[in-house]
Amino acid sequence: MPAAFLLIVLLVVGALPAAAVAPASEPSAEHQVLIGVLSHRGDARSRRTWQSTADYLTAQIPGYRFDIAPLDFAAVEPAVAAGNVDFVLVNPAIYVMLEVKHGVSRIATLRNGTNGHARNLFGGVIFTRADRDDINRLEDLAHKRFMAVDPTSLGGFEMANAELRKHGLDPNKDFKQLLFGGIHDMVVLAVRDGEVDAGTVRTDVLEHMANAGTIDLAELKVLGARETPGFPPLHSTPLYPEWPFSKLPGTPTDLAQAVAVALLQMPANSAAAQAGEYSGWTVPLDYQPVDQLLRELRRPPYDQEAPFTLADALTKYWLAVLIGTLALVTMALLTSRVMQLNQRLSRANTRLERRHQLILDSVAEGIYGVDLKGCATFVNKAMERMTGWRAEELIGNETHEIMHHTRADGEPHPREDCPVYTTFRDDHSRFVEDDVFWRRNGSSFPVEYSATPIRDEQGQTIGTVVVFRDITERREAAERFRRQEAEQAHFTRLSTLGEMASGIAHELNQPLTAITTNARACVRMIAAGRADTNTCREVMTKIAEQAERAGEVIRHIRRFVRKEEPEMAPVAVADMFETVLVLMREDARRAGVALHRQIGFGADRVMAQRTQIEQVLLNLLRNAVEAMVDQPRERRVLLLARRSGELVEIRVVDTGPGLGTGSPEHLFEPFVTTKPQGLGVGLSISHGIVEAHGGRLRVDSTPGIGATFFFTLPHVDKGHEATLDAASLQSLDNASTTGEQA
Amino acid sequence: MSQDPTVFIVDDDDEVREAIALLMDSVGLAAETFDSAWAFLNCFDADRPGCLVLDVRMRHMSGLELQERLSEEPLHPPIIIITGHGDVPMAVRAVKNGAVDFIEKPFNDQALLDAVHRALEVDAEQRGHALEVAQIQDRVERLTKREREVLEQILAGKRNKVIAADLGISQSTVEAHRAKVMEKLEARSLSELMRMMLLLYPDRTKGTPEG
Repeated sequence: MPAAFLLIVLLVVGALPAAAVAPASEPSAEHQVLIGVLSHRGDARSRRTWQSTADYLTAQIPGYRFDIAPLDFAAVEPAVAAGNVDFVLVNPAIYVMLEVKHGVSRIATLRNGTNGHARNLFGGVIFTRADRDDINRLEDLAHKRFMAVDPTSLGGFEMANAELRKHGLDPNKDFKQLLFGGIHDMVVLAVRDGEVDAGTVRTDVLEHMANAGTIDLAELKVLGARETPGFPPLHSTPLYPEWPFSKLPGTPTDLAQAVAVALLQMPANSAAAQAGEYSGWTVPLDYQPVDQLLRELRRPPYDQEAPFTLADALTKYWLAVLIGTLALVTMALLTSRVMQLNQRLSRANTRLERRHQLILDSVAEGIYGVDLKGCATFVNKAMERMTGWRAEELIGNETHEIMHHTRADGEPHPREDCPVYTTFRDDHSRFVEDDVFWRRNGSSFPVEYSATPIRDEQGQTIGTVVVFRDITERREAAERFRRQEAEQAHFTRLSTLGEMASGIAHELNQPLTAITTNARACVRMIAAGRADTNTCREVMTKIAEQAERAGEVIRHIRRFVRKEEPEMAPVAVADMFETVLVLMREDARRAGVALHRQIGFGADRVMAQRTQIEQVLLNLLRNAVEAMVDQPRERRVLLLARRSGELVEIRVVDTGPGLGTGSPEHLFEPFVTTKPQGLGVGLSISHGIVEAHGGRLRVDSTPGIGATFFFTLPHVDKGHEATLDAASLQSLDNASTTGEQA
Repeated sequence: MSQDPTVFIVDDDDEVREAIALLMDSVGLAAETFDSAWAFLNCFDADRPGCLVLDVRMRHMSGLELQERLSEEPLHPPIIIITGHGDVPMAVRAVKNGAVDFIEKPFNDQALLDAVHRALEVDAEQRGHALEVAQIQDRVERLTKREREVLEQILAGKRNKVIAADLGISQSTVEAHRAKVMEKLEARSLSELMRMMLLLYPDRTKGTPEG
């Protein structure tokens, strides 16, 4: 864009002088030849200097009238581009530009100067006042006020520019002020008069002015002075060829040859030379150094690739550059900010993930997730530890097939039944208390786990997360506890039985007494010859019955003290009643208490841990009997079973004094007792047993009438167990009452 | 009075009761069974000789209670207590209260039979003693008032002369009365008379029974 902009400026600026040139050449009749001359000192001065040369050529070359067309710096190129002139006489810099861009070619090089000073090379001289002791080298010029002739002047600026740059000074930046005097003399005077600290002009200017008496060379000193053999004038820069006389591409070659010949033949003392203050022309020199200089300074035509240095751009388009730079800076800032945020976000994300992982890894429970295909998406350390599977072995693979393939009983566990997979299918959380996972080494361990659906941001289920726990130890502890409880229950039964030993012994004594007595009597009758077969048979039968009766008692005792059938099982209520009645019979008899039982319709079978319930019944029965010992009223205890929905209610009803005024709820706490010798654990134990059966032991009491303890047990259908014993048959008729007369 | 003795069996356990009855039967003893103390008391007849085989532990009325009730009677069959396991203290109490024997269940048949025989002897003894006393009593009641006074004096160990002086009658009259008393009481000697009187009044060594 800057290039296009520059072009437009050049075109617009260039149009005016071109238009001004055309009318000037109008009056000429024959072949008018226009020589475009750089009017760096003003048009009038140009004409004065060069008109004689034009006239010389007009005189030398018949049929052509040569005229001068003064062109300022800006007008040169447009005039050449438009072909408005036939020859151009410009400084070497402009020539190089025109040669490159417009194909002009030099035909002669000026020998500048007069008398003994004529030469076809020139350079720049950089100088300051002689009395400036602080400025002795080019480098000392930094931060000084500096004056040159014109930014486009080759000897008056550009050569010094290039030289200063070689010494590390950028004239555009490193001066305190860079001024342009426009005219060489002005520069010299400004320096001499101290208006600026230093300045530059082309070679010979100082000598000219000294010769003219305008200045005294002693007042000035040259900086970076060079010595060039055969070139006496003061100079600070390399030397470059003088102005070339060149033809445009469209200029006829024979005319150009004629001009060249005429110029080369021009005597040094000719009017033209004198007017132009030069000494004639030489064959064209090599302008390569100029070319090189232009390249270094990036002057046209070498401004195309990088028409502006950054400094140029800044000075010329500072606003656009500023805005653009600001925009760029803003964008850069924003971008860096965005990148920064992005980075921070990604760091936060990483941190979050790491924290997630840390949390996952620090919990004792195994945790893993599966996707909708059932493949593991993540696993934690605890899971690796518990299963022996490493994360990389699990992730991406179906966890069910790896560690959930077989049930605890060895049956295959089909994946369709897997609760983990079912969770993401039915989208419901679930808790599984009893399952097994398989370790890498082929062993299994019992687990409980929760499976929860994982949902994405849209609430779509995308898998399941499973949190599981190895419950081996808990299982073992529960088993130990259960064994201890069984031991405890067994111990309690033994001690109960111990307390009842005398009564139970009596219960065995009775049949034993009957047996021995009968047997002995029989023997005596036989001995006395008084025994007939019938009597003997009768007696033997009685003996057998009594032995069976004793056996029955022993059977009840042994079952009662047996070390537990731990499982709940269907059991006939009549059997349990029978056992406790057998065990209690003698104690009741001693206390003068009548025991009764009654089993209602449909209440004959319950689900129970038999001995434990018998323990409860025994406890309640003993309490009832003991409560009535000193009572003058009728003493009766009724064991009652009756159906209540899906339950069977067992009642122990007595006709004792009732419970008194104490609060019944404390009765079931341990060590609460109303009996002088009681430990107070009977009811507490009974309460615990009933609760373990899912019921509650409760009590109804009416003082002076009696107390009823009751609880419920789950009912079991008769079909549950095929055996129908006599007791349950007996209870088939509704509410049959069997008085148990001990 | 001349009846055969009966073994009365009181036990609330049918089988034990019947077995004991059978044992008695096997040695030719008559036995009667009762399933409770009340049942026995209802049929109680003091005149029937025999003995009582009694279970200590029974509902309603225990063997000890029955024993107490019977002790209020002037004459009752001797009691053999049978006990179950752990009832020894009760049995001891029963013996102190006059029971003849106690036997623990399950018992040896011979031990029970021995106890029964011993009890029957005691009963017979009791009953023989009671008969003699009744005869003496009858004879004493045949005496006149004066004769009783004389008897009284004799039992007090007084001589005839002293008795005559005390009663204000002649010595010969005393002798006549004395001969009458000896005759009526069928005593052949003074020592026999003294034995009779001791039977009748076991509590006193001296003095006259006053009707």
